[in-house]
Amino acid sequence: MDRHDTEDKKSAVVERKTPGDALGEMLRAPAAAPLVPTPLETLVPEARQQTPAVRQRATRPDARLHGLGQTKYIDDMYFPGMLYAKIKRAGIASARVLRVDTSEAEKMPGVIAVVTGRDVPCNSFGPSLKDQPVLAGERVFHAGDGVAAVAAVTEQIAAEALEKITVEYEPLTPVLDPLVSLGLETPGVHAPSPNIYGHKVIKKGDVEKGFAASHRIFEASYRTQMVEHVPLEPHCSIAMWDANGRVTIYTTLGRITLGRADLARTLAVPMSRIRIIATVVGGNFGGKNEITTEPVVALLAKKTGRPVKCTYTRPEEFISSTTRHPIVMDYKTGVTKEGRILARTIRLVLEGGAYCSWSETTLAKACILSPGPYDIENIHAEAFVVYTNKTMTGAMRGFGAPQVCFAYESHMDDIAKALDIDPLEIRLRNALREGSLSPTGQQLQSVVVRDTLLQAAQRFGWSGDGAAS
Amino acid sequence: MATVTLTLNGDVRTASVPPETTLLRLLREEFGLTGSKLGCDVGDCGACTVIVDGKSVNSCLMLAVQADGRDVVTIEGLATMSRLHPLQQLFEDKGSLQCGFCGPGVIMSAKALLDENPDPSEQEIRDALAGNLCRCTGYSKMIEAIQAVARDGRGEPAKSAV
Ligand code: FES
Ligand code: FES
Repeated sequence: MDRHDTEDKKSAVVERKTPGDALGEMLRAPAAAPLVPTPLETLVPEARQQTPAVRQRATRPDARLHGLGQTKYIDDMYFPGMLYAKIKRAGIASARVLRVDTSEAEKMPGVIAVVTGRDVPCNSFGPSLKDQPVLAGERVFHAGDGVAAVAAVTEQIAAEALEKITVEYEPLTPVLDPLVSLGLETPGVHAPSPNIYGHKVIKKGDVEKGFAASHRIFEASYRTQMVEHVPLEPHCSIAMWDANGRVTIYTTLGRITLGRADLARTLAVPMSRIRIIATVVGGNFGGKNEITTEPVVALLAKKTGRPVKCTYTRPEEFISSTTRHPIVMDYKTGVTKEGRILARTIRLVLEGGAYCSWSETTLAKACILSPGPYDIENIHAEAFVVYTNKTMTGAMRGFGAPQVCFAYESHMDDIAKALDIDPLEIRLRNALREGSLSPTGQQLQSVVVRDTLLQAAQRFGWSGDGAAS
Repeated sequence: MATVTLTLNGDVRTASVPPETTLLRLLREEFGLTGSKLGCDVGDCGACTVIVDGKSVNSCLMLAVQADGRDVVTIEGLATMSRLHPLQQLFEDKGSLQCGFCGPGVIMSAKALLDENPDPSEQEIRDALAGNLCRCTGYSKMIEAIQAVARDGRGEPAKSAV
């Protein structure tokens, strides 16, 4: 009996009120059991086939299933006996955890297991510094920290159980501003570790000489805010153990190899016992690059012997996943009468939030790119990244590049205005050229900054008086 | 438990659910129709959009019991065994979706619009999609696809491909 026969049987037991569509064709997916394979051709890309790219409309091999609503994202998956997990969030920026009482939650019908930081075999992880707990131990470092997790037969019961968990805190004074965090007298967020946990300096030429030769010197400070990736699909993972002590984890995680190492560490299980299956991802943008719920569901699954799923709520996406680093950016630029930049010093203070995550990469990239695409002989750029008791920052598209771009281009506009030079012209006078040296001394090739600027100006009709015509 | 009887993609269906169950959870968990997505559960993102009695609705904001006796169409109700819905076809041809998570909701909003207004202006399309957030695409190719479907529906020659 083939699939269609089964369906006919099924459709016979439901009353068919209207034909599927105007042609009277049967609906492709009956309400009861969504089909997976379809007679509709799926698009299979041909490997190694060279296709013209420029000016072509790009279609995607997964487009058809997306449009049909048949792509299976992780939240569309269910395993028999699966439980639903929810994580209780601290809601306080900095505190000592005195007592976590889960007994009332455990008594609730439908609650199968509860875990706290004490149940995590090794309660720290991170892509570089291992400063992030799976669930809070003795300390809460930001309001989005998890303090306990519940697995229950429904999501609703799990959410209600969180209300029954009581946590006693001794509140501590939080550090909420990166510039305050930078101060030597400020108590360490992760004392005894210092608040500055990353530092980079780039030097080129002699800035003092450059400033001395300058016609004018401009100084300005810029700040950017915290940004969340907001993937449409929330973070989610499902864990299940087999009889031989191997754990399989389905997850929205992008960097599964790294996640596997973090899981081996936090669960204290050899990597060979951990299998990670990355599911079709509904948006990442850098926000799904490290583990979040994975060790929690693995522990709950182990404790209950059942598959456990945890999906972030939208508020959790904002408070308990990584964000883009806010940066305080101080610029000082010396220029000639004609607007040629002779020297530039930059100080960047990146706000790391509670944990390091991908701060080191972001710090380096922001620092290297901070002078902008300009041919500047004398540069001194210094960048720090500091802890605060706020949502952690991490990877996000551009790794620090958009923040510094906002600063150096705003600065450029201010200088152009003060010197009464057209904003396009001042950029053309300073833009990197073929063979220019980058801030780190790399000789650049295929440099098209000027051509790009000129073409763009022509395309949108830049008239030279600061307005597009 | 509350009993809900509704017409779902043309079939009359019944389920018994806790009274707090949303229409979205009824569709996804009781009927296994996972095409409608949960992006926020509070009516902000539109990933859960379905059509109820001809109107696009955030199914996360509607209780299952409120759908009792009504006609519900989900993304699974558009294609037939042999044919994609024109919106699905054009979204594919124009590369309108990237990660796809917002796609079912966007397509349902677009369908509700075209059913009511076969000749929408670009602004009307934008208004119809105002409740659907997409984080990947920037919307322009979705709007192109919807305009193309509207043109085809009115029997106007399709503009050159691309
Ligand atoms: S899930 Fe319904 S609007 Fe976001
Ligand atoms: S395609 Fe990813 S959210 Fe729209």
